[in-house]
Amino acid sequence: MSSPFTPVLDALTRQRGVRASLVVSAADGITIDSNLQIGQDGSRVAALAASLYRKARKSAAAAGLGGTGFMQLEAETGRLCAIGGEEIVLVVVADRSANVGLIRVEMLRAAEALA
Amino acid sequence: MIRTSVEVWIEEPLRRFVDDASVSLALLLHPSGQVLAQYGFTRAMDIMSACALAAAIHVSAAELGKQLEGKPFSGLHHAGKVRQIFLADARTASGAYIFLTVFDERSSLGLVRLYFDEFRANLAKAAPLPSEAPEPMLNENFERELNKNLAVLFGRA
Repeated sequence: MSSPFTPVLDALTRQRGVRASLVVSAADGITIDSNLQIGQDGSRVAALAASLYRKARKSAAAAGLGGTGFMQLEAETGRLCAIGGEEIVLVVVADRSANVGLIRVEMLRAAEALA
Repeated sequence: MIRTSVEVWIEEPLRRFVDDASVSLALLLHPSGQVLAQYGFTRAMDIMSACALAAAIHVSAAELGKQLEGKPFSGLHHAGKVRQIFLADARTASGAYIFLTVFDERSSLGLVRLYFDEFRANLAKAAPLPSEAPEPMLNENFERELNKNLAVLFGRA
């Protein structure tokens, strides 16, 4: 079953090294739509990534840095990228070897399309 | 910080849930409405009211689920303007319990559900075997109050 978010998620998942892409409700941390590889726990990633992004936005605002755009978390074996606004957060889980520049461009494009 | 657990084995799973999920209030109760553990409440009357209402809501939701889907609903979420509630059941070797938690913008439904799943698993691990579990001892007035609330909810009052 496809949703209005399916083309955006498909485009992100086509990027090399992308393991999962999710559209998440920013307030609830609940998955709206997702494209996951086997082994990815979508609801867990959605809840924690949305919480992280919300806190990053608050931290940036508290530090007087204005709005938050692209957020990237580097971990031992991969990266978690997020971009969004008040209502929706777009989350991508990628391998460490993935081209984060391309992923970033694709996520910015997707965020514009979803806005 | 006030935290009360009637039974020691509940203390650690509840503490972890509250810390991880950043909730304001948490309540674990027997389906009869007897409190087993709580976090964040400051008045006994509030706990008694919350237990009675949670038990009643749980029974109502379970019955509604049975009528709609042939099996009881296991969880309920209600979002207010500022605060939200999440109510669900937790089954262990020593019996079934009801868990009620209240959270605000510091948390989210996704986080609460995520950490509730962990809490439920930790509770099941920590629960004593049925023979070791003490029987709930109901206060006569409390039971009467709960029955009154249930009667109102189910239109028997």
